[in-house]
Amino acid sequence: MEKEQSNGKGKRIVGGFFMNLILWIFSLSCIFPIVWMVYSSLKEKRQFNADIIGLPKAPTLINYQRILSNSDYHLGESMMNSVRTTLISIILILTFSFIVGYILARVQFKLNRVLYIMFLMGMLIPIHSLLVPIYIVFQRCGISNRWFTLLLPYVSFGLPMGIFLVEGYVKTIPVSLEEAAAIDGSSFSHTLWKIILPICQPILVTVGIIQIFSCWNEFSFALVLIKDVALQTVPLALTQFKGQFASDYPKQMAAMLITMSPIIVLYFAFSKQIIKGMVAGAVKG
Amino acid sequence: MLQTIKPKGKTIFWYLFIPVAMFVFTVFVPLVTALVFSFFEWKGGPNKIFNGLANYIQLYNDSTFWQAFGHNIYLVVACIIGQIGIAFILVMMINSRLVKFKSIHRTFGFFPSTIAAVCIGLIWNMIYHSKYGILNWFLKLIGRADLTQPWLSNSKLVMLLVTIPLIWQYIGYYMVILISAIASISTEIFESAEIDGANGFQQAVYITMPLIKNTLLVCITLCIAGNMKAFDNIYVMTAGGPGNASMVMAMYGYQVSFGQSNMGYGSCISVAIFVLSLLVIGGSQFLINKLTAEKEA
Repeated sequence: MEKEQSNGKGKRIVGGFFMNLILWIFSLSCIFPIVWMVYSSLKEKRQFNADIIGLPKAPTLINYQRILSNSDYHLGESMMNSVRTTLISIILILTFSFIVGYILARVQFKLNRVLYIMFLMGMLIPIHSLLVPIYIVFQRCGISNRWFTLLLPYVSFGLPMGIFLVEGYVKTIPVSLEEAAAIDGSSFSHTLWKIILPICQPILVTVGIIQIFSCWNEFSFALVLIKDVALQTVPLALTQFKGQFASDYPKQMAAMLITMSPIIVLYFAFSKQIIKGMVAGAVKG
Repeated sequence: MLQTIKPKGKTIFWYLFIPVAMFVFTVFVPLVTALVFSFFEWKGGPNKIFNGLANYIQLYNDSTFWQAFGHNIYLVVACIIGQIGIAFILVMMINSRLVKFKSIHRTFGFFPSTIAAVCIGLIWNMIYHSKYGILNWFLKLIGRADLTQPWLSNSKLVMLLVTIPLIWQYIGYYMVILISAIASISTEIFESAEIDGANGFQQAVYITMPLIKNTLLVCITLCIAGNMKAFDNIYVMTAGGPGNASMVMAMYGYQVSFGQSNMGYGSCISVAIFVLSLLVIGGSQFLINKLTAEKEA
């Protein structure tokens, strides 16, 4: 009996060791590329080509200097474009999701169900089939290749999920709250902005988190709708670098790290909230 | 139901006007436009000629398009098995009492899914590179220099090679979703199962899986929808090549429309992508519902 128990214990320890090992291999594989890029970007091209995996012997920031000082690469501009597009998109998505979500949840009017189904369809429509059609429509209306062009698809594609998350959340708020407000003489707009908005803050944070990542990382619509290098967003700029620095990996890595840095900092600073928000969005959406 | 919240119709109209107009303009107008132009021969210039169903007949006989569709299905199947399957196994391990540093695994594992697909593609380009790639470096390290090759130029392996980054990127994403689903299961169930002598594997198959069935189905749906729209990785890594060996639908539509500036046929492909994606997503939902319903009965 005793022997059997210790045997089982040994098995468990071995099993536990392997489980830990496999999980560490997986976890480290997920961040290894970034680590590799960070230290390789500190090498000069010649040193990297001689030894792709070793640590840099004479760390240098020359790659970063070259990229940031050369205006032909448009990296600073692309960062600004991405920041602007992402920020405005998030503000619009949050505002619109909040308004539409609240109205769909609470106000009865003829078109309520029609709009509800319309936005629901927006979630089911395979968005990538719009790639070419959106280009045609925007081209004909003369609104492609402008600073505001990408806002339209980003906000529109982000809206359905935002609306449904807000709508579901508003339904959990007791109506008596708004009734009391109305008795006190609060107008619809006043109730909306001063009473409901603060209550909806948690769900709006979730929507914002999901959309920051998808707007910053979005590539295919930017590729189709933006032709001017001065207007390109970060992912577009990176594909340009791929051609320009084809054989200069440390430089390419430095460029990628610069463009990823906001995401990386944001992620590791708020990873708990971000993971929670993304999961909530994925499962409920 | 609500008497108190009856704002004026005008107020509602002005609140809804901009978002609804914007949404209709960017989603529904292009859809209708694509449908209309798919019946025209149009090379992007001022001349459009109505040619009835000619584009659709061409599409029906276009082996490249169907090959691309096949690749999308390949991605879907590989990613369901690879992403959700591996994620499930890892979650089973993470939930073991013998595993430490759970939150680190979660944070690190989730990280790749927050990075742009373009970056992931570029990173794996570097890994596969024939001269400076980690893969070939590793093969040389273990003394198998004979296996080194320019990986992404191998038309037989290329689909597998572009699938691996996709799988790797999202394992952590599904892992975290599954962890949160399992966390909602009462621990008493596992405790009593353990007392009854169920081992880890039995617990996973007979207790965990049925209890998180709905979450698993959500994951599968996300996986299907995500892979029907595969584009960014492929564009960066191979652009569909060599030849059409890694072509996917969205990439082909892009190439026809912008590479050959054949907008009429490109519109037709867009309509086809729309219909096929809906069919695959809808069909899989139907299939899953039917299968699970039968099991329960």
